[in-house]
Amino acid sequence: MRVGIIGVGCSKFGVRDDVTLQELAFEAVKEAIEDAGISKEDIEMSVVGTAGTRSYELMPAVPINEYCGFTGKGPIRVEAACATGSAAVYTAYSTIKSGIADVVIAIGVEKMNEVDTPTSLAVGGRSGSYLWEFHQYGTTFPGYYAMHASAHMARYGTTEKQLAMVAVKNHRNAAKNPKAQFQKEITLEKALSSRYVAYPLRLFDCSAITDGSAAAILASEEKIKELGLKDQAVWIEGIGYSSDTANLSKRIDYVGLKATVEASRMAYKMAKIDDPVKQLDVAALHDCFTIAEIMAYEDLGFCKKGEGGKFIENGDSDFGGKIPVNTFGGLKAKGHPLGATGVGMVYEIVKQLRGEAGELQVDLKNYKGLTHNIGGTGHFGWVFILGV
Amino acid sequence: MESRTFILKHKLPIARVEKYWKGLEEGKVYGTVCKICGAKYYPPQVDCSKCYNSEVEWVEISGEGTIECFTQLHSFPQGFEFVGRPYTIAIAKFGDFKVMGWYEGDIPKVGEKVKIKTGKDETGVWKVYFEPWGELNEHRL
Ligand SMILES: [Zn+2]
Repeated sequence: MRVGIIGVGCSKFGVRDDVTLQELAFEAVKEAIEDAGISKEDIEMSVVGTAGTRSYELMPAVPINEYCGFTGKGPIRVEAACATGSAAVYTAYSTIKSGIADVVIAIGVEKMNEVDTPTSLAVGGRSGSYLWEFHQYGTTFPGYYAMHASAHMARYGTTEKQLAMVAVKNHRNAAKNPKAQFQKEITLEKALSSRYVAYPLRLFDCSAITDGSAAAILASEEKIKELGLKDQAVWIEGIGYSSDTANLSKRIDYVGLKATVEASRMAYKMAKIDDPVKQLDVAALHDCFTIAEIMAYEDLGFCKKGEGGKFIENGDSDFGGKIPVNTFGGLKAKGHPLGATGVGMVYEIVKQLRGEAGELQVDLKNYKGLTHNIGGTGHFGWVFILGV
Repeated sequence: MESRTFILKHKLPIARVEKYWKGLEEGKVYGTVCKICGAKYYPPQVDCSKCYNSEVEWVEISGEGTIECFTQLHSFPQGFEFVGRPYTIAIAKFGDFKVMGWYEGDIPKVGEKVKIKTGKDETGVWKVYFEPWGELNEHRL
């Protein structure tokens, strides 16, 4: 029995101090229900993905569920750091696969701007292994990825310019995405002259602090037929997941993320993908930092290990290249509201596969796309293959 | 509007790895090795994640280390404002152990050799420091 996505919604990403967490979630849920063209009553179970801590609502699943009118139907609350949204979609998928429910909504939401930047940096830094990392050394999230960047640059000669090219591409795409936090292009010079946040990563190598929500409604194949929604369904053809150690000192190396390699291997096998660049039309990759997108090209098999810098430089991940990556602006420029990010990626790929991406539409040949969502620095790894 | 103030301060149960924290005060950095299967742990732990036994030997990590990756932080998290200047975090390899520490210098190089030291910061927290083995690198920032 296949599981399909029948409706998606996404709020405007950005600094959303105009709404509460509940109101923000409602925006995406309402859009998803209208997109599916079903009644709210058709939904049997809700999954709420939110990483939490930065919002004043410390156990937010039930308040969100209540506000969206799903009291009694769940919620199952999931958390997987920056991959929380993908864990929510996976949980919705599994609930349907197990036969417990036929129509399930995955809601991803995060408000990160309710605390100040030093507090937000501390929450991120504490998300590794607190006692052995943050407590002693004051790690931050940009710092974790910067450590990977230092290793990648030393081993493969990846340059600050190549990192900046990822930011320039993703900002160029976000400029055309009305949901994006930063709807403006940046120049290479601007990116390369911005201040260091965590050497060797500069301000424009980093995703910002974002509020946002996204929702996806999943249903069983039988239910999709019964509801007459076969034409709009996008099928989940492959799912892969993995994880890595909490302590960075226990990793084999710092030039890639093993969780990406393992998750993609699993998803590719399930979806029968052996040449991702040829078989996929579009991909949403986890570019919380520019180095993350470069490592993802390699770890997902879009290019050989160490050639990620060249991949961006050659335009291989741009429109008209080998495989357009982060056509919606990525986490870098659309924004990265942790709980919403993975569901937001699904939203963007569903829009692409339905041919509804407007100015940002890619050419569809295979009608297949990929989402790649990392929690932490490879602490969690998720890959989905979607297709129609 | 602003929420009511909410202070979170946790107690850290370190009873089972007390030797590590005592060691730092004596200038020693300890890892653990499982007596049954030989698995090595840094940070140290007294339960073996591999073979599920809980008999470990404490071994000192010393000698020449090699930096595998690093960063220098310019945006500080809450709790580290006291440093007041960019600080450099590195992971260095000492034989079979990899260790995180604060690098005492400006910007290290991947592959650079370092000595391991211990010390405490202005807030009284003990930690590992890496001292450049040779001459300091040129000041880049
Ligand atoms: Zn053992």
